[in-house]
Amino acid sequence: MSQSGHLVLCVDDETVGLQVRRMILERSGYKVITALDGKSGLSLFESHPVEAVVLDYAMPGMHGGEVAALMRERKPNVPILLLSAYLGLPPDITKLVNVYMTKGEGAPALLEKLGSLFEN
Amino acid sequence: MNLNQLNRILLQTMLLPVVFLLLVAGLLVWQVRNAEQTVDRIQVANQNIATANLINALMVDEETGVRGYQNTSNEIFLQPYEFAVNPLQDAFASLRAGINAEHGDTRPIDELVAAHQRWVTTVAEPMIETVRIGGNTRDPGINLRGKAELDNLRALIGGIIDTEKQQNALAVQRWQTQVTDTLYGVVVASLVSGILIGAFARNRLHAVTDAFQSTLVALRVETQSTYESEQRLLATLTSIGDGVVVCNSEGCVELLNAVAEQLTGWSQKDALNLAVQQVFILADEDSREPLENPFEQVKRTNHLTGTLHALLIQREGAALQIDCSGAPIHDRFGTLLGVIIVFRDVTEQRRTQAALMASEKLAVAGRLAATIAHEIHNPLDAVVNLIYLMKTGSTPEETQEFLQMASSELDRVTQISRAMLGMYRESRTPVALELKPIIESVLVLLERQLAHAQITVTSSLPDNAIITGYPAELRQVFTNLISNAAEASTPGSSIEILARIISASRGLSHPRPGVAVIINDHGAGITTADLDRIFQPFFTTKGEHGTGLGLWVSQGIIQKHGGSITVESRTSPTDKGTTITVFLPRGEAELPT
Repeated sequence: MSQSGHLVLCVDDETVGLQVRRMILERSGYKVITALDGKSGLSLFESHPVEAVVLDYAMPGMHGGEVAALMRERKPNVPILLLSAYLGLPPDITKLVNVYMTKGEGAPALLEKLGSLFEN
Repeated sequence: MNLNQLNRILLQTMLLPVVFLLLVAGLLVWQVRNAEQTVDRIQVANQNIATANLINALMVDEETGVRGYQNTSNEIFLQPYEFAVNPLQDAFASLRAGINAEHGDTRPIDELVAAHQRWVTTVAEPMIETVRIGGNTRDPGINLRGKAELDNLRALIGGIIDTEKQQNALAVQRWQTQVTDTLYGVVVASLVSGILIGAFARNRLHAVTDAFQSTLVALRVETQSTYESEQRLLATLTSIGDGVVVCNSEGCVELLNAVAEQLTGWSQKDALNLAVQQVFILADEDSREPLENPFEQVKRTNHLTGTLHALLIQREGAALQIDCSGAPIHDRFGTLLGVIIVFRDVTEQRRTQAALMASEKLAVAGRLAATIAHEIHNPLDAVVNLIYLMKTGSTPEETQEFLQMASSELDRVTQISRAMLGMYRESRTPVALELKPIIESVLVLLERQLAHAQITVTSSLPDNAIITGYPAELRQVFTNLISNAAEASTPGSSIEILARIISASRGLSHPRPGVAVIINDHGAGITTADLDRIFQPFFTTKGEHGTGLGLWVSQGIIQKHGGSITVESRTSPTDKGTTITVFLPRGEAELPT
């Protein structure tokens, strides 16, 4: 299920996690750009024709909910997948995004949910 | 009425009869003196009568002598006349003196003396001369004159005697009157003074009786109120919620109230007069060694004891945790009359405290849980993804790299789970421990929270900062203090953590060696009003996010370590922040070799 060159923006403050996630997405055929915090993620989001966002929730400075809200303001149609190590984020945050999943569910789940964003 | 008044009344009652008796005696003496004078007068009158009779007799002698000589011309017959001449003069003088002493009117005696002299010169001497010269003695002229003169003399002396008799009778009558008067006077004075003394004594005795009566009434009222207040105190003591043991100065039990009976297991009846040390047995909470009885402490110091925390060993041998205190009972001269021991069962309270401390520990864990879940989930997610990459095919070089990455991610998980376990695994006895790794492990757990709040922590923790204590509890304290500092800090600010080793010789402020840990933030600071309350349980400035137990528990832990915790805060616009200083003593525990 090779995804032919969709541009995905990954934002996470965990360097190793981000690096590994990037490799998984690239193997599946995505083009990936990464950012280590919300602020630089937002500027990449604006400057690149990003087709989907894989966003970490817990980040210093601006958390994933805030970043998602700003992204929705700028490009409301770009789908967002929110990743979090926490269970039970408040609904006003989860309803902002297209998909919400917890870390640790594994790469196949991530790829499947990300892929579903492009099927619609 | 006091004793002085009573004495005065007694003195009055005794003196008044004496005064009256003296007055009556004075009256009597005066009357007797008067009577004596009257008796003197009677005697003088009698004497005068006697003298007048003598004068009469002497004048008769003279006349008889002159007549005998006239008839016989014999000188012998003239002797009575001659013998009477001198005594008569003496008698005249005597009578004059007597009359003079009596009433002073000497005219009758002067007339008598003059008449006698006239008789002597005109009758007696011419007659004697006539006889001697042998003249005619029968001359009727001289004889008639002689008779006339003699009659005159007799009349005069008779008058004097009558006057004296009259005087005598008057004096006797007067004496009788005086005696009667005296009698009446004495009777009347006795009666009057008797009545007066009686009335006065009655009046005074009434005053004494009244005073006695009112004293009696007052005494009865006082006894009643003393009894009532005693009953009130007794009821208070017996119904009070604390246990009360009262013993005398010898330490013999006098009273156990109902609570004391229940807590000690001794009934009032069984414990009465037993030594208090036998009924109220205390032991150390930890070591169970016997403790000094509060009675002994009070007797030794003569002062209130502070609140003592101890185990009370009940009659059946079970132990209760109690707080107790002893207080001396003094009389008004400060002599020890007895000792009151007040105590209460704090087993339940201690249990509640322990539950609160446990719940605070859980709250700390709860606050950390989100962070920890994140800290564990992130590396695990990376590891799961790495395994997926290796499963779906990778070159040997890639596999090597992935394994390396997975291994270092797992190290992170291990480090965090160790730090977390360190919060709960507790040793039973205090051990020597280095503060540096303890504080660093806390910082590992808080790393995410601090990074989130964009707070940088600079720490200066020397090696060999060694103290004696319980590592898990100290982790809890530092987690609490550092996360408080982080919550108070504004994003972008910093927290400084500094440890200083203090040697024993560093002055009087820290007489013991140990380590001072200073945590300084640049947050809003704590207001003076809040500063007084931050160590109270359930006081929080964090609303629903805080339990209000963190600092209370931290202070309890530090105090258990024999240390101290102080807070200084700055709230001026230019300089804000809070500095918390924790001192932990080096203690006795040896480092493991």
